[in-house]
Amino acid sequence: MRKNIYINENRPHESAEKHVTGYAQYTDDIAEPHGTIFGAIGWSKNANAIIKKIDLSKVWASEGVISVVTHKDIKGRNDVGPVFDGDPIFPPKKVEYYGQPLFAVAATTTELARKAVLKAKVKYKNLKPIITIKEALKKKSFILKGVKVQRGDPDKKIKKSKNYLKGNFTTGSQEHFYLEGQVAFSIPKEDNDLLIYSSTQHPSETQQIIAKMLNQKSNTITVLVRRIGGGFGGKETNFLTSSICALLAHKTKRPVKLRLDRDDDIIITGKRHDFYSEYEVGFNKLGVIEGLNIKLASRCGMSPDLSGAINGRALLHIDNAYYLSNVKIKNYLCKTNTVSATAFRGFGGNQGMMVIENIIDNISRYLNKDPYEIRRRNFYQKNKKNVTHYGMKIEDNVIQEIFNKLVKKSNYKKRYSKIKKFNFKNKYLKKGIAITPVKFGISFTTTHLNQAGALVHIYTDGSIYLNHGGIEMGQGTNTKIAQLVANEFGISFEKVKISSTNTSKVPNTSASAASSTTDLNGAAALNAVSKIKKNLENFIMKKYKIKSKKVKYENGFIKFNNRMFNFKKIIKEAYLNRISLSSSGFYSTPKIHFDKETFTGRPFLYFCYGAAVTEVTIDTLTGENKIDRVDIIHDAGKAINPALEMGQIEGGFVQGQGWLTIEEVNWKSNGQITTFSPSTYKIPAVSDVPKIFNVEIFKRGRNTENVVNKAKTTGEPPLMLAMSVFFAIKDAIASVGKYKLIPKIDGPATSEKILMSLKDLKSRINYN
Amino acid sequence: MISRTIKFVWKNKILEVNNPDPNETLLNFIRLKLKRTGTKEGCAEGGCGACTIVLAEENKNKLIYKAINSCIAFVPTLHGKQLILVEDLLDKNGSLHPVQKAMVDYHGSQCGFCTPGFVMSLFAMYKKNKSYNHDVISDSISGNLCRCTGYRPIIDAAKSLNNKKINDKFETYKKKTINLLKKIQSNTISINNGKKYYAPKNISELKEILNKNPNSKLLSGGTDLSLTVTKERKNLDSLIYLGGIKELNYIKKNNSFIEIGANTPLINVEEYIKKYYLDFNKILKRYGSVQIRNVATIAGNIATASPIGDTLPLLLSLDALIIIENNKTKKIVKLKDFFISYRKTKLKKKEFISSIKIPIYPKNIFKAYKISKRFDDDISSVCASFNFEIKNKKIKNVKIAFGGMSAIPKRAKYCEKTLKNKEFSNKILDKAKESLLRDFEPISDMRASKEYRIEIAKNLLTKFFAEIQNKNRIELKN
Repeated sequence: MRKNIYINENRPHESAEKHVTGYAQYTDDIAEPHGTIFGAIGWSKNANAIIKKIDLSKVWASEGVISVVTHKDIKGRNDVGPVFDGDPIFPPKKVEYYGQPLFAVAATTTELARKAVLKAKVKYKNLKPIITIKEALKKKSFILKGVKVQRGDPDKKIKKSKNYLKGNFTTGSQEHFYLEGQVAFSIPKEDNDLLIYSSTQHPSETQQIIAKMLNQKSNTITVLVRRIGGGFGGKETNFLTSSICALLAHKTKRPVKLRLDRDDDIIITGKRHDFYSEYEVGFNKLGVIEGLNIKLASRCGMSPDLSGAINGRALLHIDNAYYLSNVKIKNYLCKTNTVSATAFRGFGGNQGMMVIENIIDNISRYLNKDPYEIRRRNFYQKNKKNVTHYGMKIEDNVIQEIFNKLVKKSNYKKRYSKIKKFNFKNKYLKKGIAITPVKFGISFTTTHLNQAGALVHIYTDGSIYLNHGGIEMGQGTNTKIAQLVANEFGISFEKVKISSTNTSKVPNTSASAASSTTDLNGAAALNAVSKIKKNLENFIMKKYKIKSKKVKYENGFIKFNNRMFNFKKIIKEAYLNRISLSSSGFYSTPKIHFDKETFTGRPFLYFCYGAAVTEVTIDTLTGENKIDRVDIIHDAGKAINPALEMGQIEGGFVQGQGWLTIEEVNWKSNGQITTFSPSTYKIPAVSDVPKIFNVEIFKRGRNTENVVNKAKTTGEPPLMLAMSVFFAIKDAIASVGKYKLIPKIDGPATSEKILMSLKDLKSRINYN
Repeated sequence: MISRTIKFVWKNKILEVNNPDPNETLLNFIRLKLKRTGTKEGCAEGGCGACTIVLAEENKNKLIYKAINSCIAFVPTLHGKQLILVEDLLDKNGSLHPVQKAMVDYHGSQCGFCTPGFVMSLFAMYKKNKSYNHDVISDSISGNLCRCTGYRPIIDAAKSLNNKKINDKFETYKKKTINLLKKIQSNTISINNGKKYYAPKNISELKEILNKNPNSKLLSGGTDLSLTVTKERKNLDSLIYLGGIKELNYIKKNNSFIEIGANTPLINVEEYIKKYYLDFNKILKRYGSVQIRNVATIAGNIATASPIGDTLPLLLSLDALIIIENNKTKKIVKLKDFFISYRKTKLKKKEFISSIKIPIYPKNIFKAYKISKRFDDDISSVCASFNFEIKNKKIKNVKIAFGGMSAIPKRAKYCEKTLKNKEFSNKILDKAKESLLRDFEPISDMRASKEYRIEIAKNLLTKFFAEIQNKNRIELKN
C-alpha cells in the first residue's frame, strides 16, 4: 500500500496523546502573565423583578477584590444577543431570569472573587414570573412571531380520513454539561486591544460582540481557541462569560481569567428548548397519514437568542423521514422567565422529529400494528412522494435501504416475537423494542452562514501550518482536515501543524455548529491547498519544461509522469525562486436557498440518514429501565476517519439517550432552577451504555453532493438515533395493556414517568 | 512528634508544605502551586471525576493505590501519602503508560477534558486488580463522566489492558516509594494559621484535641463536609482529620456482631459485608463512585445524617448500634434513636463516633433496594431495606427502614406492626402497603415527586414479597 494516504484511515485524534497525558491545554490551563486577576459573576436571585437597588459596598470591601463592573461600565452595546437584542450583559432595570448576571468582580484569586460576589445586597420589586409553556401560551407571552407552514388541506383530509387521533406530547430541556465549563481569559494589549482566549464555538462573534460592547473596532479584538472541552451548542452563542471577562480586563487593564463554577454555569447559561405539541391526525387503515395538524410550542426563555432558527429547524424536521401530503403546523415561541434556551446538538430538529415519531407510534398502537410497518409505509419514496412540506426535493434518499438492512441485521422481527413471549411469562419485568429512522438536513438554515475560510502556509523546510475557522471541540475536525491536507500534498500527517482557531488568521467565520464544521472548513482548506499546488506546479512545469499537466502528490514526492520531485527540496527551490507558498482558501455551500417568508426552498445541501433498533427492559414496580441491546446503521458517506465518525455516532446516541431518559431540568414555579450540579442533574454514566452496542457505518454510503471526500457529517444526526430508546420504553409500557392501549408518556422517560405512565395505563385497563 | 509541616511523596521525592491552608483543595494546590494543569475541575463536588488523581498509601509494606476526587480533598490530608498525577504516568523516555496508550489506541478521548480523570481511574484499577472484567471496569469508572464518547471506547480500552500487564515505573520504584512513605508517616499534624487543622495519630490524641477544640468539625472522607468550602464558599475554621488514626480503621466480627471502625472506608466495608448481607454490598457499590468510596466512611454517613444517606436505611433495618465516645465515657446508642430531625443527631460536642456494630441475623432475610434516576453514582429517590425473620410462613420479626421518605432516614413502624406475627402472604402485603402511608409523608423535589416516592415505597414491599415467594430476584441485569 502506498504511504501517506490518510483518507479512510482510523487515525487517533490529533490531540489524543496530549489528552491522556494531561498536556492538552484548555483555556484555564494557559499560564497567566504576572498581574493576572480572576473573575466571578454575581447573579439575580429572582426570575422576574425590577431592580430597585444594588449595594455592592461589601463586595468592593471583600478580601482580594480589585475591581467590580456593572452595566454602568459598558460604554457600547450592553447585549450579547447574536441575531436580536434581548440578552443584556448586565440588565440595568429589570431581571428576567433566576441566574441573570448583575455585576462581576475581579480579585486576586478565583476563590476570593467567588466569595465576594455573594456579598452583594440587591433589592427587587418582584413581578409574577411565567415559567411553563402552558402559562406562556395562556398569557400569549411570545418572544418572536411563530411561522405557520401549510401544504395541502389537512383539515379537509382529516375529516375524510377513516381514522382519527389527537393528543399532546412534551419533550424536555437538556443541560449541555460539557465537561469544561464556560471560561475566558482576556489579556490587554496596547491601543486598548484585547487578546482573548475563550472556550467558544464562535470566535468571530465573540470578537464582534466584545468590540461592540467596548465601542471599539473589531480589528482591536483577537480571539484564539485551540480546543474546547465540549460544546454541543452550549458555546455557540453564550458570550456572557467572554464579554464580562473582557470588560473586567478593559477596566482594570490587567489580564483577567473568568471561569464559571459548574453551578453558576448551569444556572447562568442556556439549555435545550422544551417543546410542547398538540396534534390531530387522520390516517387510512394502513396507517398512512392523510392529514396532520400540529401546534408546536417551545420554551424559549427570556430572549430570542437562536430560538427563531431552532424552531425553524423543528418545523423543517417535523416530517423526519415521512411524506406528509397534507400538513399544517403552527409554531409558538414562548417567552418565559427562564434562562434563554439555546443551541443544543439537534437544534430543534430532534424535538420536531420526536413529535412525528410519537404520532406514528400512536397510530401503530391504535391500529394494533407493528410500528415498524407503519413507519415504513409513511416513508418518503424515491421517485414520487419525495418533496418535503417546505418544497425541497429529496434526491439522496437511502432510508428504505438502511431500514431494511437494519431490520435484517438486528433480527428485529424474531426478537419482537420473543419479547412478546417474555412479557407474557414475566409479571414484573417487561421488554420493549423499537426501530426508528433519522433523516437530518445539513447546512445552516440561515443561508449566509454557509461559508468558511482557511489559511495554509508551507515553510521552507516543507512543514505545513494549517489554520481554519472551525473549532476543535472533540469531534475531530482538526484531525480530519489535517488528514485531507496531508493527503492532498502526499506528505506525512506529522508535517501538518494544527493550530488554534484565530480571528486574525481567518476572519468572519461562522460558528462551529450545524454539523457543518468539517464540510465547510475542510473545503476551504482544500481550496487554499489547490491554490498553492497551482503555484508549485506552474513553477515546476516552467522550470523543468514539463508539458504534461498530470501530476500526483505521493509519499513526499510530486510526480509528473516520469519526473519526480522531492517535496521538501522543491519547496525550498520554489522559495528561492520567489514562489508564494501560502494561501487563504474560501468555500461557500452551493445550491442552497431558503425563503423564510414562504417557508420554502432548499435549505439543505444534503440529508444524513440512519436508523436504530433498541431493546429495553423496564421494571414495572419501580419504573427503572435498562437498555439491553442497540443496533445502528448510520450513513457517514465516504468517511474521512471512520473511527472518529464512530465516536460521534456512539457519543451522539448516548447523549440523545440521556435527553430522552434520565436528564431532567427542573424549575420551581418561581423560576428557580433546582438541577444545577452533577448531584442533581444526571447525564449518562458508564452503566447506562447499552451492553450490546452494534454500530455500523453504512457501507454503501456516499454523499451525492460535492462535499469533501463525499463524506457526510456525523455531528448532530446520531443524537436522534436515540429516539428508539424512548419508543422501546413506550413499547414495554404498552405490553402491560396487552398492546391494545396507547401509553401516555412524555420525554424524558425517567423511572418516575414510566411508573406513572404504567399507573395511568393500568387504570384504563380496569375501566375499559 | 507534632508538626505543622505536611510531607508527601511526589515524583520519588519528599515534598514539604509548611503550614498549608486547611481549606485549600488538593485540586487547587495541584493546579496553582504545583502548576500541573492536567488535573481538571469539572464540578468541585466530586460528581464528575475530571479531577481524579491517585494516592498511594503504604500498608504492611505494600502500596495501596486509591483514586480520589482532588476537588473535595484538602491539602493537609495529603500528609504521609504518595501523590500521582496524570502527567506522572509518562515514562522517563516520554513513552505512554499502558493505560494511556490504550486510551489513545481505542479512541477513548474526544474533547479530552474528562480524559485525565478517566486515565487516573483506570490507572488505579490497573494497579489494584489482576484482571479487568466488565464489572470491575464499570465500577472503576462509574464516577467519571464523559459527555462525548458514550463510554464504549473507554470500556474497550480498559478491557484491552487484560493482555498488557507490565511492570510499570511505579512497580520499578516500589521499594523506594515505600521507604520514603515510611519516613514521613509518623508525625501528628497540627496547623494553626487562622484556620486550625489537626491530624491525630491515635484515639487518645483525638480525645485530647477534641476536648480542647469542641467546635471542630470531624473530617474523614470529607465528601460531604468539603462542599461547605467548594460550594457554599464558607470557611471550615477548625478541622480534626481522622484519616491518620489506624485504630479507627478496622472491621472485626464475633458471633453476634460485625464491628466497623469509624474511619474504615466504604470500599473495605463492601467487600467484607458481602457474605453476610449481599444487598448491603450491592447498595454500597452504588453509594457513590470508587473515588468517593475510597475515602467515605459509614460513620461519616451516619454523622451527616442525610435523609438520603444510603447506608442509613440498611443499618436501621439491621438495628445497628453506634459507639459514641468522648474523653471520659463510651456509650452505645441505637441508630434508630440517633436521628433527631433534618441533619440533626444526638452527637454532642466533644463526642465522636468510634465504631458501628451491625448485628448478624443468621436466620433472617435481608434485602435492600435503591431507586435513583441514574444507576451509577446518584442519590436515592427512595432507598428501602427489609429485614425479616420468617418461620413456618409466619413473620416472627420485621424491621423495615426507608431513606428519601422523610426528613430523616426512618423505620416504618406502622408497617412493621402490621406485619409482625402475621402469615407471610399477599393478603397482609396489601395492608402493609397501606400502612406505609401512616409512616411516611414524603416531599416532592428535583429527584422525585411525593406521589412517585409513595408508589415505589409500596411497590418495593411488593417486590420484596414476590422475590421471596418466587425465590429469585426481580432486577434489571447489568
